[in-house]
Amino acid sequence: MPLLEVYNLKKIYTTRFGGNPVQALTNVTFSIEQGEFTAVMGESGSGKTTLLNIIAALDKPTSGEVFLNGKNIVSIKEKEISAFRRDNIGFVFQDFNLLDTFSIKDNIFLPLVLAGKSYEEMIELLKPIVARLKIEDILEKYPYEVSGGQKQKTAIARALVTKPQLILADEPTGSLDSRSSSELLHLFNEINNDGQTILMVTHSIKAASFAKRVLFIKDGEVFHQLYKGSMSNEELYQKISDTLTLIATGGAHSE
Amino acid sequence: MNRFFYAKLAVNNIKKNAQTYIPYLLTGIGTIMMFYNMSFLAIAKDIGSLSDSAQLRSLLSFGAGVIAVFSVIFLFYTNSFLTKRRKKEFGLFNILGMEKKHIARIIFWETLFTAVISLGVGLAAGILFSKLMILLLFKIITFKVTFGFEIPIVAVINTCVLFGGIFLLNLIYNVFQVHLSKPIELLKGSSVGEKEPKTNWLIAIIGAVSLAIAYYIALTTESPLAALFLFFVAVILVMIGTYCLFTAGSIALLKMLRKNKSYYYQLKHFIPVSGMIYRMKQNAAGLANICILSTAVIIMLSTTVSMYVGMEDLLRTRYPRNILVSARNVSDEQANKLDAAIEKHTLEAGLIPKDVIRYRSMSFAVSQDGANFTSDHSNNFAAGNIAMVVCLTADEYNRMENKSVSLDRSEALLYTLQGDIPGDTVNFNGFELSVKDRLASLETEDKMSALLTNSYFLIVADVDTIKQIYNSLSVNQGDMGELSYYYGFDVAADKEAQISLVSALQKALKEINADCYVEGAESARAGFYSIYGGLFFLGIFLGLLFIMATVLIIYYKQIAEGYDDRERFEIMQKVGMSRDEVKQAIKSQVLAVFFLPLVAAVIHIGFAFKVITKMLAVLNLTNVQLFAGCTALTILVFAVFYVIIYGLTARTYYHIVS
Repeated sequence: MPLLEVYNLKKIYTTRFGGNPVQALTNVTFSIEQGEFTAVMGESGSGKTTLLNIIAALDKPTSGEVFLNGKNIVSIKEKEISAFRRDNIGFVFQDFNLLDTFSIKDNIFLPLVLAGKSYEEMIELLKPIVARLKIEDILEKYPYEVSGGQKQKTAIARALVTKPQLILADEPTGSLDSRSSSELLHLFNEINNDGQTILMVTHSIKAASFAKRVLFIKDGEVFHQLYKGSMSNEELYQKISDTLTLIATGGAHSE
Repeated sequence: MNRFFYAKLAVNNIKKNAQTYIPYLLTGIGTIMMFYNMSFLAIAKDIGSLSDSAQLRSLLSFGAGVIAVFSVIFLFYTNSFLTKRRKKEFGLFNILGMEKKHIARIIFWETLFTAVISLGVGLAAGILFSKLMILLLFKIITFKVTFGFEIPIVAVINTCVLFGGIFLLNLIYNVFQVHLSKPIELLKGSSVGEKEPKTNWLIAIIGAVSLAIAYYIALTTESPLAALFLFFVAVILVMIGTYCLFTAGSIALLKMLRKNKSYYYQLKHFIPVSGMIYRMKQNAAGLANICILSTAVIIMLSTTVSMYVGMEDLLRTRYPRNILVSARNVSDEQANKLDAAIEKHTLEAGLIPKDVIRYRSMSFAVSQDGANFTSDHSNNFAAGNIAMVVCLTADEYNRMENKSVSLDRSEALLYTLQGDIPGDTVNFNGFELSVKDRLASLETEDKMSALLTNSYFLIVADVDTIKQIYNSLSVNQGDMGELSYYYGFDVAADKEAQISLVSALQKALKEINADCYVEGAESARAGFYSIYGGLFFLGIFLGLLFIMATVLIIYYKQIAEGYDDRERFEIMQKVGMSRDEVKQAIKSQVLAVFFLPLVAAVIHIGFAFKVITKMLAVLNLTNVQLFAGCTALTILVFAVFYVIIYGLTARTYYHIVS
């Protein structure tokens, strides 16, 4: 059974004063297996972020269904959504979304505290992750005292610390310089190699070329997908680039 | 055309920033109204017909002064808050190609409009309410209402000048702010990255120590005279302590809580504690202000209300009998003449003296050290060792109490009104008397002076003994002269009859003894009402002003926090916090922050209670129960008010956050 299944997802935004409704997602269907590292690509306004928000249960679709581990996210009750999100999904955002009032350590602890874990348990969960991300030295610092790369690592640590089923990354390299970006993407690869499923939304070809599979979204539909297979990052980069050119110049559907 | 454009833009800006502008305008209107009314009352013609008009006028002028000072502070504070919020907007104008002088022009128009609206509406409302105010004041001081309406031009001009000046000051501040800043800073304006506040132990300790000293003073001061002086010391210490503890102490405490891992890493402590460390950094001063203002409001209202409500008690304390005659240096013969004259005039007025109390005595103001009394006055009154010793002869005592006590020249009976004389002897600068007995009661009425200082009544053998005391106390060995005479009685008569009797006695008795004073409770009533009623009026007025200030500070704090917290709570929701949890977190944080000042204020008042009762005693109010009741009621009313304000502003806050 796939870890994540998305069926016929449709999302229409209607403005309050009867303006023209905007169709963000027309009909999206795909599935992700346990242990996959998938990138979703598309131009601005193609519906990438809407898709991510629906998968994260931050937003409700107009129609369609989303199953995580066989559980229908769309029909989860409002009260349970937060706990569900906390236990099953880890988030990494473009702008880090760290809280300035917490030290790096406390930022990582936040979801654990929300889950009601004891301090000893939290420390046990924290140790291996900070060792792997090499952020032991900055644990007592505050977000405004560390670099962008370190902030994003903190965000990854926060996402990983609850041992989620799925990590959702929304443009994780968007605010980073090229060196930090590479480091971060390598880190994603490593984590993925350990068995962590990752779904990343991006419009950076370089970021997508680190993934094992790339989905292309255009006008609210899955337009095309690429498997990395035995390709190197560079070869995949070239392929993605070609596909984007094709999409941009208005090519027909191909599989 | 061009000038029109800026004016239009200014109007637009005011409309768009209504959320922060409306409270600013309301503050302006409110303070203008209050200031006009107070300065109107201070010079109103109607008040001139009052017997104690000068005192009342100076009281009202003082009120106007207080309002003026607070108006400057409030309006400046509100304006600086507005400007801080709007830096981003100005930055945008700047980037869109407006020069700073153009922005200054917009600011000028905005200030002009606010000034015109505030002054126009404020003055109009003030003038409209002025008649109501004077009616209210006259009602409070039980003075007959007059008809007519006046608009003293001086009050109008004063108001315009004061508030015009304040708005000008704000304009200069705003233009200066814009002028100093760079566009990029203007854009970032209110969201500059914040560092975690550092713990400043020194300030925290200073705060704790000054508060402890203030509380110690408030609890240990026994003498009302000393209380008057020390109270102001305590007030200043409390203010210092409050500021220090709110700024540094709170952060020190929160950081200590954070160090306690098992406490800190719990959902219900994790977010509030960390959030409050930052909150306190921004808000400590504002919260300390709220705390001090709340304390001031409660004390002012409870004291003035209890004095006003307790007016009859107060009159009775000050005038134990309806009519009091006191004279100094009265010989036996004169005393008899006085008795006869009092009786004659009272009977002539068709009245009979009741509950007569009269005695001849000699009073000494001395310094007390245990059982030793000296006339050393080098210690000031604040030292609290001043004592009053009233000496009566045994004959006088026997007559008053219907007893037949006889005393040796070295013996005395002691009646203690307040204070304590240890041992069995009393020593006056070397002259010693043995205390034969301590009396449980004595029909004397000098209760008022007893509350001011330690007071003792000493019954001695005869006048010669009193002279001996006098001689050993006096340095210059002058002649003591005759004893003093006190004659007090009640009459069953209405106000007018009592007043005319007092003036008749005044005239008649002066002829017998030049040092003779006649006082009547009824003659003094009008004066009492005008003073204490004036104070009561002032208390309500300033109480309202302070409450307005408190509302304003709370409102702006809520808005400021709302904007700061919005982002934080968005993130928390993404990380897996439910809406309910977010609401809960907001609630506990906001509650803690906003009720802290109220709680602190109540604690301040709790400690100040004793010393305030002492001071009220100086003002003749000895009914502690009444004061306690008034204080409790004021706190209750204030708390209800506070909760309402909080509830209303919290709604704005939630609206911003979600």
